[in-house]
Amino acid sequence: MDLDEIKATWSQMSDQLEQQKKLTDKIILEMTQQKYKNKFSKISMYETIGAVVCYVMAFYILLYMKELDTWYLLTLGIFTLGCLLVMPFLVLRSLKNIQRVDLVNSNYKEALIKYTQEKNRLLFLQRLGIYLGFFMLCTSLPVFSKINNGKDLFLSATTWLWYLPVMGVFFFFFARWGYRSYRSITDSAENILNEMDQ
Amino acid sequence: MGKETQFISVIKQYEGVIFKITTIYTDNKNDQQDLYQDIVYQLWKSFDSFRNEAKISTWMYRIALNTALTRIRKKGRQGISISIDKVVLEHTEAYDSQFEERLKLLYKQIGALNALDKGLILLFLEGKKYEEIAEITGLSLSNVGTRLARIKQKLKSQIVKN
Repeated sequence: MDLDEIKATWSQMSDQLEQQKKLTDKIILEMTQQKYKNKFSKISMYETIGAVVCYVMAFYILLYMKELDTWYLLTLGIFTLGCLLVMPFLVLRSLKNIQRVDLVNSNYKEALIKYTQEKNRLLFLQRLGIYLGFFMLCTSLPVFSKINNGKDLFLSATTWLWYLPVMGVFFFFFARWGYRSYRSITDSAENILNEMDQ
Repeated sequence: MGKETQFISVIKQYEGVIFKITTIYTDNKNDQQDLYQDIVYQLWKSFDSFRNEAKISTWMYRIALNTALTRIRKKGRQGISISIDKVVLEHTEAYDSQFEERLKLLYKQIGALNALDKGLILLFLEGKKYEEIAEITGLSLSNVGTRLARIKQKLKSQIVKN
């Protein structure tokens, strides 16, 4: 199929579409009334649920902060608390920014640039969240152990003997997979942005 | 004429165009229907702004393309499964299998382009002048020309490969 054939096929399809108009007044009005089912709404819902879980956990740590009676447990507690409070906020804000891309007043180029940038930011945050979440598995264990059982895990080395190596190996493969996936998505987004400037 | 009546008439006028846009930006029927509705919904939401604009087609293409562009696609779809062929032809009296094959090939070739190029080739095939393409896309006139030449080259090389 050469370019002339592409044009001819496109034109023939346009003619056929003109002849087979299917939309009725009712269907069109339904489409304007039906709630906009943007995929972001679903993602936002899951992220909001996640954020609520994080904030409940953060509140729990905050409530029992006084139980963390050594400098290292307190440090881990503050780190965990910080992650639980900041990450969901950043992700939700990033999602909101994507939804705010102005479809009406932006031209195609502006919408594409803004969308690609915001999507990259969201992807970055999501990846960061995964890494931090994994790191938090290590940092939160002693915190919750102390809060729930009053037990300082640093004083009983046996748990760490199996916990850290297992987590280390798992994290290595997980991080490698995450980084590769992230690179491939952002690289293709970057290509589009670079091409815009050419 | 009321707002709703005016809007219905605009959508009916451009329903074929919306269909074509949804087809090149999606790879299955469900996504296509979702996008179609998204576009109509966005057009409705901004219909007031159109009434102050000079050219309806520019407004329509801009919003439809922006909506298609900023829509998240479901993950895990493999390849480009052209499911639109039946949709295009099922209502015609004479079923033309050769035309359907050509259509599949056409969508396959356009589907291989990136988001920006898809929009440009669509506007080109719709017979838009470079000035209007530049207005819709926000690219400079010379950039539109250069990019379209490159896209044609890309399509040619795809054709050779096929």
